[in-house]
Amino acid sequence: MAENNPNSAEELRDAFGKALLEVGTENPKLVFLDADLHTSTKATWFKQTYPDRFIQVGIAEQNLFGIAAGLASEGFIPVPSTFAAFAARRGLDQIAISICFANLNVKIPGSYCGVPTSRAGASHNCIEDLAVMRALPNMKVADPGSNADLRATLRAAVATPGPVYFRVTRYAVPELFDEETHEFEWGRGVLLREGGDVTLFGTGIMTQFCLEAADLLAAEGIMAEVVHLASIKPIDRDLIVESVGKTGCAVTAENASIHGGFGDAVSEVVAEECPAPLRRIGVRDKFVESGGIDELFALHGMTPTDIAEAARAVVAAKARREVVTV
Amino acid sequence: MKPLTPDELRHLEEKAYQIRRLSLEMITYSQWGHIGGAFSMAELLSYLYFREMKLDPANPKLDTRDRLILSKAHGSPALYAVLALRGFYPEEKIYEYCEIDGLEGHTHVATPGVEASGGPLGMGLSVAVGMALGLRKKEAPRSRVYCILGDGECQEGNVWEAAMSAAHYHLDNLIAIVDYNKAMAKGFVWELMRIEPIADKWRAFGWNVLEIDGHDFPEIAQALHTARWVKANGAPTVIIAHTVKGKGIERAEFNYKWHTHAPDPATADSMLREVARTYGYAEQGYSFRNTPVQKDIFYGGE
Repeated sequence: MAENNPNSAEELRDAFGKALLEVGTENPKLVFLDADLHTSTKATWFKQTYPDRFIQVGIAEQNLFGIAAGLASEGFIPVPSTFAAFAARRGLDQIAISICFANLNVKIPGSYCGVPTSRAGASHNCIEDLAVMRALPNMKVADPGSNADLRATLRAAVATPGPVYFRVTRYAVPELFDEETHEFEWGRGVLLREGGDVTLFGTGIMTQFCLEAADLLAAEGIMAEVVHLASIKPIDRDLIVESVGKTGCAVTAENASIHGGFGDAVSEVVAEECPAPLRRIGVRDKFVESGGIDELFALHGMTPTDIAEAARAVVAAKARREVVTV
Repeated sequence: MKPLTPDELRHLEEKAYQIRRLSLEMITYSQWGHIGGAFSMAELLSYLYFREMKLDPANPKLDTRDRLILSKAHGSPALYAVLALRGFYPEEKIYEYCEIDGLEGHTHVATPGVEASGGPLGMGLSVAVGMALGLRKKEAPRSRVYCILGDGECQEGNVWEAAMSAAHYHLDNLIAIVDYNKAMAKGFVWELMRIEPIADKWRAFGWNVLEIDGHDFPEIAQALHTARWVKANGAPTVIIAHTVKGKGIERAEFNYKWHTHAPDPATADSMLREVARTYGYAEQGYSFRNTPVQKDIFYGGE
């Protein structure tokens, strides 16, 4: 983990800033709305290049999302940007009714999500955005897992009509994909590593942790399959069923609360289509208070070691179940 | 501006009467809705839709149209009524109020002529600011954005975030109207949460402020004319329209107990006859006077 996050590496938010400029250049209708955070969300490059398409609304998130709705109904593609916490909490009513109910073409990047943010603490470390946004009708939700994935997600979000929420994590991970050819598709997961003993479903930066967990497990002879699901809603039901059908047990990992978010989205499919032992890795009904990033991942049981431990548990449960069935 | 001729005035009054009549018909038929806040806006909507706003009912999305957002979205019956009267859809559609695939309880963009989905109070002015900004960016300066807010709604913080941003962006293509009918759902504004001095608040936020009797057509005409042509000085304009909640039905006037209630068919019948008498039209009762109420939930009034 730590070695994968050197200070020199480019964080997902930097990739967002670059992708925003690129996609904004291709789409003259894209307008960026800021609530006094653009240097943190890395929209600065877009602002410098397209000052006429950069709208500052001040520290007023309810107004941020309302204005976005109005601009969308005039044919623009607004990108109202703030920290995930202020979108999922402060602006939720406006996102639900002004944007989602009206099914408007608004793309919401939620930054400073989950555990790795700054040392700002529980007020800013947003762990409920995936659950909250997933519950909104018409809303699509994504948590991209690498810089190329984020770029592809933004591109797909702008190309898809209707409201989209996607995460922009303040964290650096090794690139999972070919930057030139990678494409993001709604409701489509990616099989990153094949294995027959257990499936590790990751979203966002946690997919990288799943890959590291798979290495740990391989050393013990447990062959883990790793599936990256950046598109959380819609989710790739077919790939989940296919993989769990093969491995017979699963672990989910998300940089968010385990309640209502990604783990639950996968669990719903597994419970409905292919019941199997499953464990969820994520924040367990706690606020993520201030601390160092690696310390916090350890404190909340979200390290590759924790994922490997959960994998052993479901593999064991599967074995017990097989004995009982026989 | 030229004063309204007697014929023009009669035409607008007749439309206001029809807005009240259709609002009460749909609220009674669906057994749900807000009479008080619909009736207080009847003259404002009549003037806006039949004289002030540039609209094409055959082409509700025409780019050069004027936009209106009903931020107090529970006043939907009056908006649905005026849209029917203006020809956006047939009058019979009002009986689909609150029915599946019909007219949504609170305003929703699925209905032709409705510009924003709403319901939770305080949101509409932000959407109007976004539209006014968007029109500015599209260089369509001749289109206006109107936004009708409730008085109690001005207790919402979101309203003032929006007000601040409208003045900051010099949106003189935006006109807000506060339907100041003095009553909320559970009491009077001054009892539950004082909003006065409301005109000073808007002024302090950088708006032009006009204050009128919201049931008086010549005053409405003058204020909207001023907002459009005289006060287009780089600041948005708000018209504080003093109105009477439930105007036209004595028992509902200034009576917050008729904020939400739907009358039973017999009561609706007597109310509609009273409204007709009040405004000098031939008595016309409730269309479904003899139809028993079928709904599971019955909201008795008073």
